[in-house]
Amino acid sequence: MLRIIILFGFTYFFMMLHAKGDISKYINMKYSYLSFSMIFLMGFLTLYQLIQWARGDKRKDHNHDHDHGHDHSHDEDTILKKVFTYTMMLIPIITGIFLPAATLDSTIVKAKGFHFSFIDNDTDQYANHQILRPDASPYYDKIAYNQMDKNDLKKYGSENRIVLDDKHYFRALESIYNHPGNFIDKKVVLKGFAYRTDDIENNQLFVLRFGIIHCIADAGVYGMLVEFPKDVKSQIHKDEWLQVEGTLETTYYQPFKENIPYLKVTKWEEIPKPKDPYVYRQY
Amino acid sequence: MSQTLLQMNTIFISIIIEALPFVVIGVFLSALIQMFVTEEMIAKMIPANRFASAALGSCIGSLFPGCECGIVPITRRLVQKNVPLHAAIAFMLSGPIINPIVIFSTFVAFGDSWKMALYRCSLAIGVSIIVSIAISYLFNDQQLRKVMDHLSHNHSHGSHKMSLRSKIIGTIDHAIDEFFSVGKFLIFGALISSAMQTFFKTSALLEFGHSKVTAVLVMMALAFILSICSEADAFIASSFSGLFGTGPIIAFLVFGAMVDIKNLFMMLDAFQKRFVFTLVSLIAVCVFVGALII
Repeated sequence: MLRIIILFGFTYFFMMLHAKGDISKYINMKYSYLSFSMIFLMGFLTLYQLIQWARGDKRKDHNHDHDHGHDHSHDEDTILKKVFTYTMMLIPIITGIFLPAATLDSTIVKAKGFHFSFIDNDTDQYANHQILRPDASPYYDKIAYNQMDKNDLKKYGSENRIVLDDKHYFRALESIYNHPGNFIDKKVVLKGFAYRTDDIENNQLFVLRFGIIHCIADAGVYGMLVEFPKDVKSQIHKDEWLQVEGTLETTYYQPFKENIPYLKVTKWEEIPKPKDPYVYRQY
Repeated sequence: MSQTLLQMNTIFISIIIEALPFVVIGVFLSALIQMFVTEEMIAKMIPANRFASAALGSCIGSLFPGCECGIVPITRRLVQKNVPLHAAIAFMLSGPIINPIVIFSTFVAFGDSWKMALYRCSLAIGVSIIVSIAISYLFNDQQLRKVMDHLSHNHSHGSHKMSLRSKIIGTIDHAIDEFFSVGKFLIFGALISSAMQTFFKTSALLEFGHSKVTAVLVMMALAFILSICSEADAFIASSFSGLFGTGPIIAFLVFGAMVDIKNLFMMLDAFQKRFVFTLVSLIAVCVFVGALII
């Protein structure tokens, strides 16, 4: 009986991930067909197990296994082992269905090695300065935000090479942070100034821009972690402007304790500082 | 619910979602083969020459896309059917690694790169051939424990006498049983791995990473304890790739697929103690040296 519940749980979980589109927060969408087919495979196993159970011939099946000398039934001999097996199997179903996927939270990032005078010295406690990941959701109601998020994903997710120029900077970047799985392996072109925190590797940099979502009180710094094929610490200095092109990947970034999207750089060049270093969100 | 725990859960769930399809495909295929391929078929293929049989044993493993626990009982029956011990061992060591599902899952787990899959396979074949040849000099073929008789009796009404329908039903039953017995180790491993990444300071882990020797040892110990099925372990390993280099990760992928807690018990059940411990030490030394070279 428990087995039916667990199998059904997995079926439902995979179905939910695909129906709500949350799957892109967890995995590379290139192989989403694998987890999509899981809905049917698991569904089939659930049905099969249900029929077996309804017929009540569980005993016979177990003898079956012994016939093949395959000792897996060994594993579930004692009550303790049974409890262990079923608890383990239930954990991901329960936490997966009921807990939301965590995403980069700008309040965490703030404390982790990013220092900008206009943010650090701002005494206005109501100001909302974001770092790295643009999050426009506080400025919209929930339904409108979700609708916009969906449209942006449709628009940028269908491009194979996404150019983060002034016009698209905010919305494309936000879309990438919201659904990194949809953008993996795509080309992204990004420009901004180089920024270094203490805890990144010598071949890594942050490429950032100052940006304004709504008004100057909530100006923030937005951009991405980029990784060069070689050590660039001595070549590219802090605050130098550059344009990078690379393929998008995600990585677990220890200082933030989060999975973040980053660019594996294939091409880069130094560029002059633009006239207006700020970018503005397009509405 | 704190942000850190949510974070850990996100990593945990993403490992599970990525690995589970491979586990399910794996358990189905291995159940199919369990039902339709008999040990006699393999026994016929093994040549008499010591070196040729060690090499061939390593290759035949690829016909059995199973994981390291499923392959122990098959190996035992091979030896019962007079396949030379060292060839059966070569088969047991390479089977969980040199097969299409495991290679594909390694490829996917490391971001569509053949590099890790290639290293993994090469080291696995190397270790399995060397260990197999060493075994052929060290031991005679009588290393099975004698108490296994009741099982071979059970097996006497074997798969070939069943109708196709009951074979298919047997396959599905078998797949479900194995899904549960393999799944719990995957989930446990994913829990440990996500917890380590969330709660351990990078600096603490980098201490290990600084010296290649300690890093390899740590990853081998981890592989042994976690006991993750070889179809899914690449996803756990790749989640460590920010913390450890290529060598230690390959050590994890190869050693874990050959020896771990759950299959150690199964080996002790099938073979004599002295033999199992010699075997495990041989594997450990070979993997360790191999990983240092990579």
